Amino acid sequence: MNIIIIFILHGLVYAGLLFLVSSGLTLVFGMMNVLNFAHASFYMLAAYFSYSLLMWTGNFWLCLLVCPFLLFVIGALIERFLLRRVHVFGHLHELLLTFGIAFIILEVVKWGWGTAPLPIQLGGFLDGSVTVLGVIYPTYRFFVLFCSILIGLLMSFLLLKTRMGIMVRSAVDDSEMVNALGVNTPRVFMFVFALGAALSGFAGVIAGPLLSINIGMATSILVEAFVVIVIGGFGSLIGAVVASLMIGQIQSFGALLFPKISLALIYLLMAIVLITKPSGLFGEKK
Amino acid sequence: MKKNSKAIQIWGFVILLVLFLLPLVARPYIINLLTEMIIFSLYAVSYNLLLGFGGLLSFGHGMFLGLGAFTAGAMLQRIPELPFFGAVFFGTLTATLVGLGVGCLLLRHKGAYYALLTLAFNALFYAIAIKWHGVTGGDDGLPVKRPNLDLGFVQLPMSDVTVFYYVTLVVIGCAVLFCWYFTKTAMGKTVLLVRENEERMQFIGYNPAVSRMILFTLTAFFAGLAGSFYALFFKFVGVDAISIDMTTRALLMTFVGGTKNFFGPVLGSGFYIYFQNFLSDLTDRWHLFMGILFVLMVLFAPQGLSGLIQSLIEVFRKTGDGKATRKKDHPFGE
Repeated sequence: MNIIIIFILHGLVYAGLLFLVSSGLTLVFGMMNVLNFAHASFYMLAAYFSYSLLMWTGNFWLCLLVCPFLLFVIGALIERFLLRRVHVFGHLHELLLTFGIAFIILEVVKWGWGTAPLPIQLGGFLDGSVTVLGVIYPTYRFFVLFCSILIGLLMSFLLLKTRMGIMVRSAVDDSEMVNALGVNTPRVFMFVFALGAALSGFAGVIAGPLLSINIGMATSILVEAFVVIVIGGFGSLIGAVVASLMIGQIQSFGALLFPKISLALIYLLMAIVLITKPSGLFGEKK
Repeated sequence: MKKNSKAIQIWGFVILLVLFLLPLVARPYIINLLTEMIIFSLYAVSYNLLLGFGGLLSFGHGMFLGLGAFTAGAMLQRIPELPFFGAVFFGTLTATLVGLGVGCLLLRHKGAYYALLTLAFNALFYAIAIKWHGVTGGDDGLPVKRPNLDLGFVQLPMSDVTVFYYVTLVVIGCAVLFCWYFTKTAMGKTVLLVRENEERMQFIGYNPAVSRMILFTLTAFFAGLAGSFYALFFKFVGVDAISIDMTTRALLMTFVGGTKNFFGPVLGSGFYIYFQNFLSDLTDRWHLFMGILFVLMVLFAPQGLSGLIQSLIEVFRKTGDGKATRKKDHPFGE
């Protein structure tokens, strides 16, 4: 019984991380129709930033504040000066551009921090463990879960209750019409792109101590985030939540029950969804 | 126009002649480099059939090269007396069948969805290659022995660099030419028109989904062929042959070479392999330069190297006789 609780918790924690990455991806896609290949690179970049910052200051809370902000700025700059330029050439070029950026970020990371995995040592109360429902579980994992739920709630508040959120949601729906109604959609795009980068960066910072920091971390989470938005449906936030939870549990129990084929299970799920409901669980049919 | 196509024929003939005569004078190192370039030309050309010709951005091309390479290698290991082209046959066949299967799953998709799904499939096959230790050797990779080619009346020693070069040149060269021929056939035109105006093609009575699937399978076939030769050339297949990096390589080669021109990817693969070998001697960071070059090209020269060369030629023509008009008949149309 205990082991089942532990694995459910593992799955939930991973789902939280996955949600943080895929929610930005799916919002940006829904809005600008750009599949952002560099999205997971922001996640990786933030993890490496946090490593350096932690080495320098020794304060993890500072990393949690500073790194997402840095990524927000980087995301805004990329949108403003690179992505907007190729917008006129069509979606294929935007995709290629984000791919090129991802490639460059990977090379820069290899250059700056080397190719060896980096360990992160946390001090303080996050390093311990707590007893819940009769199982001993690391505090840090609860912290990750708490952070992702908090961010998820903040995001839904922002999107559903504020004026900015209404603009974003309507721009996801029909950006041309919103633009015609007098909203500066390019600025909204920039904001959402940067926010997505910041979210991804936040996920990268909290992923650092959880998983190891290595140069393969971007590719692995990118593919899984893609699977999440295929299963959940493009542009759907609730789809991203549900699909992240599914993938999290599959990853966790797959490793327990079928260690040999655990990696293939999520693709199997994706194939099933594709065959039965090609637009995803919560996606709209185009 | 007529003058132009004649010039292309002459240039093609000259290049082929040079490729055939080069081994007489070049060092084995150069010949090896050329062999690699030829193999990757087919890989890039087949990728460009999807990207430039069909307008489909695929991130799963590496899996077909890898499947071809791993199947050819594994078959050579399992079947003791398997001939050279037997291995090539199995490698190509597997890639084609998988291409057909994946193509069926991708039927209804295009655009960003297409890119993403192909990426996921590539990741799946990469995961399988790492886990299936018994066949692929996992992280250690798979050593491949290169059998001699028995033509019935003569046995060709394939361990000889020059002989392998000629065999590659003939087989892969024919495949590249076939790709070129394909763009001229009715099927090729259908694919092109689906890219240009899918709705209209549907009204006329074509099924765009099926055309895309056929194109996808065909490119899988050629990538598998390139993969089989990849295995036989390096005499080793590592998991990076089936990784996303391999797909990335196809994209870099094709885009840098130019997607609008059929022979752009050939140029691109030559450029890439050359830089891989010469720049990597100078600096470890050559991937970074390649990435920056790629982004600059996306931003400022989306036509790629071949497009740049074409516009250079035009500039020279204009200053030359002053009445040359803008050329419009590149193979893939506007």
